[in-house]
Amino acid sequence: MIEVNEDDFIRCPVCEAVNIDKSRENICRRCGSSIYKHMRFSTEKSWAYLITAMIAYIPANLYPMLITNQFGVVEGSTIMGGIVLLWEHGSEPIAMIIFIASIFIPILKFLILIYLLISVKYPIGKDKKVNKHKLYYITEAIGPWSMIDVFVVAILAALIHLANVEIVAGTAATAFATSVFFTLLAAHAFDERLIKENK
Amino acid sequence: MKLENEDALDNLIICHECYTLHEEIPIKDGTKALCSHCGSVLYRYDSRLVEHGLSLSIAGLIFFILANVFPLVKIEILGHEQFITIPKTVIALFDNGFYVVGVLCAFLIFIFPLMIFLINIILFTLLKLKKGKFFTKELLVLLSHIKPWSMSDIFLISILVALVKLIGYAQIHMGISFWTLILFVLIDLYITKKIHVSEIWMLRKRVFLAQGHR
Repeated sequence: MIEVNEDDFIRCPVCEAVNIDKSRENICRRCGSSIYKHMRFSTEKSWAYLITAMIAYIPANLYPMLITNQFGVVEGSTIMGGIVLLWEHGSEPIAMIIFIASIFIPILKFLILIYLLISVKYPIGKDKKVNKHKLYYITEAIGPWSMIDVFVVAILAALIHLANVEIVAGTAATAFATSVFFTLLAAHAFDERLIKENK
Repeated sequence: MKLENEDALDNLIICHECYTLHEEIPIKDGTKALCSHCGSVLYRYDSRLVEHGLSLSIAGLIFFILANVFPLVKIEILGHEQFITIPKTVIALFDNGFYVVGVLCAFLIFIFPLMIFLINIILFTLLKLKKGKFFTKELLVLLSHIKPWSMSDIFLISILVALVKLIGYAQIHMGISFWTLILFVLIDLYITKKIHVSEIWMLRKRVFLAQGHR
């Protein structure tokens, strides 16, 4: 017989088996993966990825995402420029999709992760009834959708490849893809157990 | 809370959305248990999970292969014809010198989806044959690591967005791959929604417990 406090149950991030928190090194009893053993660097890894992602997000918005070469006239359009152009041309739904995927979701994800990372260290929002587990789940669920714009650029670049008219991906595509990649890593590196400790 | 031993932990389940602790109870075949706090699905019981999983994965793999060999979309612009396939999209990125994006896209829309379906097929076959106790464990760990990185569904939406952008500039014809990709994504979503990785773990436990290897 073992006596367990109900707060000591943790879920393995890999196989989702319920484990007992032994506080120092936790090896999942079902799949054998280690469950966040870096106790001393609990949030630093996630912070590092998140800051990298935010830095990469700046050139992603400043440099052109898409370069069109039409009869020798080279024109580049940034993410925001592309959205405005689409809106003016009357494709509002597509402009909205691109806006949500490349501007709204990344920024929302940055803000939620910053909030989570600060709130597990300092007592912010303790009294409020915000379910941080739910917030974390939302960031994991919406995160990949920011890749839409990168894929669109890849498809257009592969498709429009003629002698006179050509579309090429711009510098921002690399920056944006890097940014999305690191935000996903930041979310994965976040230790969900910390939410519980600072309830 | 008192527990007999560590194995009794298998009767507990934590909601993957809101982290509420639940005790697992036996439910009827084909039904599901919902979280009492947030209403998301905790687990399902399907006595024919192996057969369902295996048939869906094989069907998915066939559609995936078809989606990769035929043209995705064909456009006519200023009298020129141009078509793309999924591999061609990635190769075009490499040709333009976008190696980082190219490698990323290759993994997200080609390697990971393919790996997931291959792993599923091997996994369900082994479970069906009641073999490979440790290999299935490794496969399940690998599966949960790559699952969040498979983005076929997002790629499908991207195709639609890209095509809407081209309306007015070019004539667009959908290729065979486009329809097979839709079917592939539907199967992929169905498997992700209906067969949760933790349910395969539960199944694996039942399979090898009945066998008496423990």
